[in-house]
Amino acid sequence: MHAFANPAGLRSISTRSKLLIVLGIISFTVLLPRRPDVLYLIPAAALLVLWPLCRMPLAYALRRLLVAEFFILGIALMAVVAPAAAPIFLSTLLKSNLCVFTMLLLTWTTPFQDVLQELRAWHFPSVMLTTLALMYRYLPVLAEESRRMGRARASRTFSRRRSAAWQNLSLIIGRLFVRSADRAERIYLAMCARGWK
Amino acid sequence: MRAAVEIRQLTYRYPQNGRLALEQLSFSVAEEECIGVLGPNGAGKSTLLLHLNGLLPEQVSSAPSIWIAGEPIHSKNLDTVRQRVGLLFQDPDDQLISATVFEDVAFGPRQLGVTGAILKSLVGQCLAQVGLSGFEDRQPHRLSHGEKRRVCLAGVLACKPSVLVLDEPTSDLDPRGRREFKALLQSLPGAKIIATHDLELVVDLCSRVVILDEGKLVAEGPTVKLLSNEELMLVHGLEKPHSLLHRHPHGPTA
Repeated sequence: MHAFANPAGLRSISTRSKLLIVLGIISFTVLLPRRPDVLYLIPAAALLVLWPLCRMPLAYALRRLLVAEFFILGIALMAVVAPAAAPIFLSTLLKSNLCVFTMLLLTWTTPFQDVLQELRAWHFPSVMLTTLALMYRYLPVLAEESRRMGRARASRTFSRRRSAAWQNLSLIIGRLFVRSADRAERIYLAMCARGWK
Repeated sequence: MRAAVEIRQLTYRYPQNGRLALEQLSFSVAEEECIGVLGPNGAGKSTLLLHLNGLLPEQVSSAPSIWIAGEPIHSKNLDTVRQRVGLLFQDPDDQLISATVFEDVAFGPRQLGVTGAILKSLVGQCLAQVGLSGFEDRQPHRLSHGEKRRVCLAGVLACKPSVLVLDEPTSDLDPRGRREFKALLQSLPGAKIIATHDLELVVDLCSRVVILDEGKLVAEGPTVKLLSNEELMLVHGLEKPHSLLHRHPHGPTA
């Protein structure tokens, strides 16, 4: 979470225009051939032009890309079972990174609430928008909850062994899932209490 | 005086394990009355509050047990019931679901079809009522616990309920936050039902209390009289509040 940068170069651009540009780049990237190709330079060049305009710090982008990289690698590894594994693996890596980077530029320059409002104006399904809004709202809550659980675990962990740390992490993740399910139920009740149908 | 809430022979079993949560509960709350619901952990207080808003039972029974302003709760009037009975949940993070304070306070009225300038003005009024004017664009996860709780209350007030049902409204608040929230509750009109372990809050706000234990109503009566009964309090996992241990000789009597 960060204060939204609204650099002079992009101040005049509406959320609608930004969303259209982002969707254009992502759609183009997704439709590229499933092998490394010179065409990949087109979205990459577009991002290189937009990046300085957005003034997104490199460290900010790298930190978030690193988190996404685990999931990207997970998806790309699934391509290894395909007959021509290497080109598909590489193209999946390229496509995913380009798309994630495009989304990072959008989130850096546009408050999430504005994006949701624009999607609402485009008549996106309300269930999808509600899911996105809830996800955005509860990510910090879940992060804080996992931090608290981590601290509580650490206070009763007396071993520096790496296996113990991994075991703790798996317990925290498991517990977080259970707590999230409980919380989801309470959130649903609270929404119903205010007339949600 | 017409009862704002009337409960008759309310019984509920948890569907997961069949355990009896509420057993033959009967009491009523008059308009503008503030009552406290007390009891040890697991007594059924929160379960009772969920019933008042029509959130429990999962399948509304054809034989009603709860009447709101003389109207029984049934499956066809749940929307009206939820508008009339405002429920404040114990954990503000369960209730604050939107990305901004404005969106969250507007959540209930939007379900009731309020939009545009009227909605904006209503949200502004409700935030002013809870002392949070100008918080419209703030993000809920950046608020303090006390502020979160006030936003929750604003969200409930925005639906213009005639009955306020509050689940542990002062839990996790610091002394100043507790005092300010208590004053805020005192200023609000309408019937109020407060389930809490904060007995000082009950002494200050509630004219009457009901005590639940293991799902049963074990005592009902004027606050000072019941809370001064040390034996009754101890038997049901409660303690005589500090303010009643050292009462001023010329202070209010039971």
